[in-house]
Amino acid sequence: MCLVLLAGCARLAGSIAADTLSAAILDQDDPELVASGVPAYLLLVDGLIARNGDDPALLAAGAQLFALYGSRFAETPERAVALTAKARRYGARALCLAHEPACDWDGLDYDAFVQALQDVGRKDIDALFAYAVGWLAHLDATSEDWTAVAELPWVQAALERVLELDESYREGTVHGYLGTLYALRPPALGGRPEEAQRHFERAIELSHGRDLSLKVEYARRYARLVFDQELHDRLLNEVLNAAVEAPGLTLFNVLAKQEARGLLATSKEYF
Amino acid sequence: MRRAKALLERGRNVALLAVLAVLACAAAPVGAVELKVATIAPDGSHWMQRMRAAADTVAERTSGRVTIKFYPGGVMGNDAQVLRKIRVGQLQGGAFTAGGLASRYGGLNLYGIPLLFRSLDEVDYVRRELDEELLARLEDAGFVGFGFVEGGFANLLSSEPIATVEDLRRKKVWVPDGDEISFLAMQTLGLSPVVLPVTDVLTGLQTGLLDVSFASPVAALVLQWHTRVKYITELPVSYSMGIFALEANAFRRLSSEDQAILREVITDAVTELDRAARADNARAREVLLSSGVQPVHVNAADVEEWRATIEGLYPQLRSRPDVDGPLFDRLLELLAQYRASGESGSH
Repeated sequence: MCLVLLAGCARLAGSIAADTLSAAILDQDDPELVASGVPAYLLLVDGLIARNGDDPALLAAGAQLFALYGSRFAETPERAVALTAKARRYGARALCLAHEPACDWDGLDYDAFVQALQDVGRKDIDALFAYAVGWLAHLDATSEDWTAVAELPWVQAALERVLELDESYREGTVHGYLGTLYALRPPALGGRPEEAQRHFERAIELSHGRDLSLKVEYARRYARLVFDQELHDRLLNEVLNAAVEAPGLTLFNVLAKQEARGLLATSKEYF
Repeated sequence: MRRAKALLERGRNVALLAVLAVLACAAAPVGAVELKVATIAPDGSHWMQRMRAAADTVAERTSGRVTIKFYPGGVMGNDAQVLRKIRVGQLQGGAFTAGGLASRYGGLNLYGIPLLFRSLDEVDYVRRELDEELLARLEDAGFVGFGFVEGGFANLLSSEPIATVEDLRRKKVWVPDGDEISFLAMQTLGLSPVVLPVTDVLTGLQTGLLDVSFASPVAALVLQWHTRVKYITELPVSYSMGIFALEANAFRRLSSEDQAILREVITDAVTELDRAARADNARAREVLLSSGVQPVHVNAADVEEWRATIEGLYPQLRSRPDVDGPLFDRLLELLAQYRASGESGSH
């Protein structure tokens, strides 16, 4: 039923269909249902994209769905690599369609890449975001390889550009990603915890505290990096005491609570 | 009947207490020792995963008598700051750069002398002969080391190709804060070294304060210097290592049985990391090149001239308080042997 309906709509409003799909998943409070149900949605999205391969909005939504599923629900590391590779391809195609110069960005050196990003405008922010998120999910899934380490600055630059275009895009999500990236390395290896903290604080502010995964990442990435147990435990307890239901965030919030419990359980041992 | 029940309940309470006592013992046996260890490796890194696994094995095999608590991500500061914290007993050990412990034992500066080694085969030959001796003398100097982890050869990284000494002479060349031997070597080569902490190099390359830095491929990627340089000069500039070491008194307070377990388990982990490091650097080098950094081959005659210049510095290095002179002599003998056998084609 759903399949027929969406396929029928696709020609007229592929992007709306994909958005509806995304909302149905993101508002779900049962991660296991998502884990078992999403593959069918992914097939559907693949089908929509096969038929409407020149719709940047549909590709952008596809990139995000594959990134989400690949990084959070894939059963094996190999599956995560394959699924996020598709996320990355869809994201790159979305941006290439929305902003033609991006079709030739492969292999640009860092300075040229940063320069090229300046030409992406506000109207293409969805495609740029999908491009960055698909790429980041793929790097995360392949983080055992040095290529992932090498490419991180490029993805970070793309996210910085999204932020420049609209700081409040997706209620602070971009700040959250940047907070994580700045906290990946300790200061002695070039990391910048103070920048990470600034981004996490701003992300939480922009999401009005509703996106619990931001607090979990703030605790896991920043508080552990700088050995601030008080902050760590406070953030995680806030997560455990918060409501999970929030439009577009319920699924992540349920997952965030699970992770908060795990992190709190190892707090004493870590600090 | 009531008395019987009361007894039973008391009995249950006693049993519960006994269970709790056992659990408490399992968590921390009487006389248990917690060794606090600092490292700049980030939590979650391969290095930390391997060392945490080793720590779990130690705790298990010593029935919880010895546990290791890690302070990752450089939260306890750099090598010098960690050494100070060890001195006041706040920490018992750390993962250091070999040069970072050279203030305690000068032998640890030897492998890092610029242009000393010409190949990893030479490194392997020398390390097979000298590593154990370095560890033994380090122990005399108050630190129990569990082996070295290769950092690899550093190469020159630059925004313009460096193929000759002349290319280098016109440039602002980085030298790490506190690395007096590299500083001396660069001065001897007639270069103008710019002293900066490693964390300022990226900005230095970006702002033009620096033209040339050097690092192993792994370090170059982690520090993101590949975003700021365009060329890598194919010359092993210097060899670097890390070392995991505990303050000797803290180590000796353990029973000899626990000392043996610690030595065995940690040495295994360190040896494994040491072996993995070489493949890591080889792969990181490929990635560096595919990210657009161009290889530059240095003029062979020039290299010989550089080497000769630095060799002229050896007598001065040999007499420094932070260099183990006699061991330096042995190292040079080993290298001479190795090279002679190579020339006669017998190794």
